[in-house]
Amino acid sequence: MKILTCVLLLSTVFSATAAEGEKATTWLNSLSQFLKQRNFSTSFIVIRNNRADPYHWFHGVTESGEELEILSLLNGPRRDVLRKNNIVSYIEPELPPYSVDTHQISGPIPPIFSGDILALTKNYDFISVGKSRVLGRPAQIIRIVSKDKHRFGHRLWLDEASGMLVKMAVYTRQGVLLEQIQFTHLELSKTVPEPLLQLQSSELPPVVETPKDLEETDLNWKVNWLPDGFKRIKTNRHRISLTKQPVEFMLFSDGLVELSVYINKGNVKHRDVDFVRTGATGIFNQVVNGLEVSVVGKIPPDTAKAISDSITLLPKK
Amino acid sequence: MSESKFETVSSCVDNYLPQDSSFDDVIEDREMSDTWGRYQLMGDIMRNEVPQNIDLDLSAKISAAIDAEPTVLAPKPSNKPQNTMKARIVKFVKPFGQVAIAASAAGLMVLGVQHNNMVQTDDVVPVPSIQTNPLIGVAEPVSFNYKQPNQVSQKQAYMEQQRRLQALLADHQQQIKLTATQNKKSPVEKTEAANSQTNKVENLPK
Repeated sequence: MKILTCVLLLSTVFSATAAEGEKATTWLNSLSQFLKQRNFSTSFIVIRNNRADPYHWFHGVTESGEELEILSLLNGPRRDVLRKNNIVSYIEPELPPYSVDTHQISGPIPPIFSGDILALTKNYDFISVGKSRVLGRPAQIIRIVSKDKHRFGHRLWLDEASGMLVKMAVYTRQGVLLEQIQFTHLELSKTVPEPLLQLQSSELPPVVETPKDLEETDLNWKVNWLPDGFKRIKTNRHRISLTKQPVEFMLFSDGLVELSVYINKGNVKHRDVDFVRTGATGIFNQVVNGLEVSVVGKIPPDTAKAISDSITLLPKK
Repeated sequence: MSESKFETVSSCVDNYLPQDSSFDDVIEDREMSDTWGRYQLMGDIMRNEVPQNIDLDLSAKISAAIDAEPTVLAPKPSNKPQNTMKARIVKFVKPFGQVAIAASAAGLMVLGVQHNNMVQTDDVVPVPSIQTNPLIGVAEPVSFNYKQPNQVSQKQAYMEQQRRLQALLADHQQQIKLTATQNKKSPVEKTEAANSQTNKVENLPK
């Protein structure tokens, strides 16, 4: 009898978590559909440390099926991201305007949310954790929890009526809040918002040449450890634009977060570890035996250190 | 902070008291009263009123003598409070260890990132923050420059670090923007893409 109750209890627990997971998946799917298909005009604030940056975000789909998008930082010099289908243009004070051949805007909101969000299930669990009221609307709370301890967790609040994101937060595994995005306004419309129509008729800046992508074997160093699921998506040599420092570089992504590894000759023989954080993005930097290693990304300090420590030099060819 | 403090000393030397209490502040603050002593000595030298033997440490000797005197009414205030302070610090530091260090590092970055970002992105705020630094160096009288070298080098090292890390952060974000290309090998709206880009195709990286 006892065993039977145990089994029954267990099965209900399992089915409950499975149902929660399924529910979360459904909600995340509706978010991804919403971001791809709907016309909206929305505002949000990114809160990092004690700093708040307001953004305005427009998205629309024309009758011919063309996707248009504008994301603007509202404080300080203009920083706009414009998108016409598969061309994304960045207008920033540091550089002349340029375009990239992609259909993902790189901004505070992870692009995977409008893409194949279910691809994250390899490394993350989706959990529906209940309801709350955000932006004056009933909202569903979904947690995106890393399966290992090397990543941060995300929490999303989705508008129950539309599936749209209304709040997002990044937490450490201990539950410390690192960064959050709070939407302050959301307007859905049948027609494409006016600024996007202007965008449609304007010419975007030319697409830039990116530095030549190298094979991993072109570099004489190797990253031997990364959390599961991180894939190398880019390898190159370039100069860091602010310091003109030449670096060898690899970019990795697990779908949700990106992390960069930089290697260059240090100008000192040894420098102790620097780890600093702005919002959830950590910057890890140290010089060992005259070699400067930096790891940048939305990952915990331990992960950054482990990655940096796993780097080995290969014999010169 | 410190400039205004020494301004007070200076005005006291010049017989001009901004507030009635300011002279008391000068006497009570060790650093300020030292400076006061030096200012007076300078004045004496300039007026040629220097005695044969200058006892520079006179005030220190007097206060040492006072401390040594057994007084019941004013027991030495130094011992007890210091001890409790130490104990508290030890208690606080031990359990946190690395966390505290990491937190302080993170704290630095908060300032740094904001500072640098403001320089880049915000027209209104940075003006005071840019100007304060040079002002400290330029406007301070020579008499207490003996403190400066250490502070300056620390500040420079700090600024250097902030600049380096800021550059890494900016480059990381830049690389992500440029890399989005490779993320997308299966364009969904291929035909429209081809239409809208015909004039740009030759510019595309292969």
